[in-house]
Amino acid sequence: MKKRGEILAENVIFLVLNIIFLTILVLFLLKQAGGAVLIEGSYSKEIALLVDSAKHGTIINVNLQKAKEVSDENGIDFSEILKIADGYVTIKLSDKGGSSYHYFNDINVSYYPDKNPGYEGFYVLNFNRKRA
Amino acid sequence: MKLQNKRGDKILSVYWFAILVIVAVGVVLMVNTFYGKGYDVREVEARILAEKVADCVYFGGESNSLLLTPQGTFREDFKDNFLSFCTLNFDPGKEFVRPEYYVEVNFFPDTNLRRSSFVLSEGNLNWKPDCEEKVADRSKLATCVEKEFFMNAPGGAVYLVKILSIVGKVQENV
Repeated sequence: MKKRGEILAENVIFLVLNIIFLTILVLFLLKQAGGAVLIEGSYSKEIALLVDSAKHGTIINVNLQKAKEVSDENGIDFSEILKIADGYVTIKLSDKGGSSYHYFNDINVSYYPDKNPGYEGFYVLNFNRKRA
Repeated sequence: MKLQNKRGDKILSVYWFAILVIVAVGVVLMVNTFYGKGYDVREVEARILAEKVADCVYFGGESNSLLLTPQGTFREDFKDNFLSFCTLNFDPGKEFVRPEYYVEVNFFPDTNLRRSSFVLSEGNLNWKPDCEEKVADRSKLATCVEKEFFMNAPGGAVYLVKILSIVGKVQENV
């Protein structure tokens, strides 16, 4: 009877260790795929490309729902995650760092989170000619 | 027999964990290879830049009136104000940092496609030699895009316009 109990305990430890191992692996993968650094980098570049290709008078709605999820997790207000100024697009989804990318289009960009219902997590980018 | 089985189980579990460790190391290496690489957008960026310059020079079948006079001669002041006339800003806005872009536009008359009659260029010329490099891995070099088209000038002349746009930004994209 005692021996059987020992074997069961060993099996349980073996199983628990396996589960811990797999959990760590899955968490690592999820963190890598949905990490703030990765999302900040890709969004800053994509928005910089949008700015580069935009013509004055253009209005663009940008879906930043993924970024909103991450910023909400990190306690950053959605209205503060995007900054477009001095030739740089900056996305900041956590207290640390943030990612900036330079754009070459000399255009005036006004931007704000979309307030329309059903468009939560969207930003509106409005492009206008720079005044001399 | 039972004791032998127990020892066999232990050996099996040691091997099992060895396999798990190998799998974990493999997954970590693969993930790092995949996500560790920069998201390289320079080619798209260089194409957008070339398109923007092309639209600035020649749009809707008409050349820019600031570039060519009604008689069809090139205006020299366009060279000095190329960036502002084409609403471009290459200034990185940081001290001692050179622009990450270079643009060159050559206008070849259709009567002599070897000799450019007018050249516009702006940006960091140091990136230009990267375009000539013949190496397999170009990730650490600037990205170059060429675009060419024919342009009808006001005086009836036709020009072949060749645009070379270069985007550096190696650190941000690799």
